[in-house]
Amino acid sequence: MLEFCYEMALPIESIKSQFPIFSHRPELVYLDSAATSQKPQSVCKAISDFYERDNANIHRGLYELSAKATQQYEEVRRKVCSLIGAADPMSIAFTKGTTESINIVAQGFLKKNLQKGDTVLISAMEHHANLIPWQQICAQREASLQIIPVNDKGELSLEKFEDFLDHRTKMVAIAHISNVLGTINPIEDIISMAHKRNIPILIDAAQSVGHYPVDMKKLDADFLVFSGHKMFGPLGTGVLYCKGEFARQVDPYNYGGGSIRNVEFAHTEFLDYPYNLEAGTPNIAGIIGLGTAIDFIQQLDLIVTADYARDLCILFKERLRLLSNIKLVGDPKNFGSIVSFYVENIHAHDVAGFLANENIAVRAGHHCAQPLLDSMRIPATVRASFSIYNTSDDVDKAIAALGALNKFWYE
Amino acid sequence: MNSDLKKLYPEIIKAHNDVPFHFEKRIGEGEVIKAYNPICGDRFELYITVDQHKISQLHFHGFGCAISKAATSILTKSLEGKTIEEALSVCNNFLGFINKEVHVDQLILPDDFLAFSGVHDFPERYDCATLAWKEMKKFLESMIAER
Repeated sequence: MLEFCYEMALPIESIKSQFPIFSHRPELVYLDSAATSQKPQSVCKAISDFYERDNANIHRGLYELSAKATQQYEEVRRKVCSLIGAADPMSIAFTKGTTESINIVAQGFLKKNLQKGDTVLISAMEHHANLIPWQQICAQREASLQIIPVNDKGELSLEKFEDFLDHRTKMVAIAHISNVLGTINPIEDIISMAHKRNIPILIDAAQSVGHYPVDMKKLDADFLVFSGHKMFGPLGTGVLYCKGEFARQVDPYNYGGGSIRNVEFAHTEFLDYPYNLEAGTPNIAGIIGLGTAIDFIQQLDLIVTADYARDLCILFKERLRLLSNIKLVGDPKNFGSIVSFYVENIHAHDVAGFLANENIAVRAGHHCAQPLLDSMRIPATVRASFSIYNTSDDVDKAIAALGALNKFWYE
Repeated sequence: MNSDLKKLYPEIIKAHNDVPFHFEKRIGEGEVIKAYNPICGDRFELYITVDQHKISQLHFHGFGCAISKAATSILTKSLEGKTIEEALSVCNNFLGFINKEVHVDQLILPDDFLAFSGVHDFPERYDCATLAWKEMKKFLESMIAER
């Protein structure tokens, strides 16, 4: 039992008991945390407490309720800083999620600087959210999107990386951890290579923040983006971290109240970053819930939790390899708690449907990374992802179900 | 629990998944109807030739789960040789059955269509069964509208 190895450092049963979904659905084997994590009781309570006790709009009211809502909301910027090792709460903008954060950087920062013949560099393993926003502005500006290839192991071909960088490269945008293959990319090296040429770099940390140590004191990324809902927080919450000098260069892409300093019929003067991006009433309860999710994460030792989830993934991979008709997709040296595989002659949806019938939640398809799977000539994979509420019992159940699949399918 | 899931995969569906009808690329002949599901990544192309308001040839190729592949295979087998209007009635009949709007007694091709009755217990597989049929319906309706 893997849990015994971690018993002292990580009380799994006690952690799992903090997630109410497993009390309501004790039979659930949830292996889809890379899509969205489950939520601890404290986060659910923070949201309902806000609506029941503290509901008011922020930044506008002089009454106590509004002041308290504002204070709670702004406090979360400090909590995010503490989680990712950033120094300045004003480097943190709240968004709807990773996708919106990337769109803001593409539309509000890069587009105005992008000219005909320029290039934007991403990798072949990016989620559609870190591909389409760049692809679209490149098309609008007659710039080109360049792609760092991925080798058979599912790792970036970094020896080719420097060849892609030249005076035309205006942006690099790379995932920290692949949402399909689980590969942990060497972002420190990538950031340093981009910075040698003064090229701004965005890191898509949707699969890492909250699960894997991310420290902006060590990582010199110019933009870091992630979602609240993948790190035990509420749906519809996200973060854009923007390093000092770049924060002043991000224009709003979405206009309205709350983001302005002065409005006349002919002209508007906007507030500074991050408030210039937060037009309209934001998801206040959600952001407060995100703060509570950070409190939850900070009770844990992220090095230990990342190792635990990865060890569960290793155990699952080892046992998958013993099943004759299953093929793992990629074999990266450095990986997190995500694995993709397929069953020969049985489509991924049929596999996931069979597992669903056994109360095992996995994802099937191209995982919003269609070009990656196209390049690997695989139409769809089954993806399993592990988190701190999973146990080796979950691995046993998933492996037993996959073992039973052949009998079901071929009998 | 597996006995319920068995209803989703009766022999007809398995047979069409293993050996689909007219499963070959026919690029360059007639028109191509794309039946893609961007959510799950199923991608089929249907190659259709219409002569004098009649579907003279119908083939398909691509990938998807057993349900979507069998549904596309049965579509291909059912509609070849039909007039545009006849084919549209068959499409409406199949889609109506999956939607529970058409009763079992009203099925045009009961043997083949009844194989998909398991989808009624697995609503998450509705899109698999209807993917190609919905695209074919749109194509046929646009042909009728253009006349």
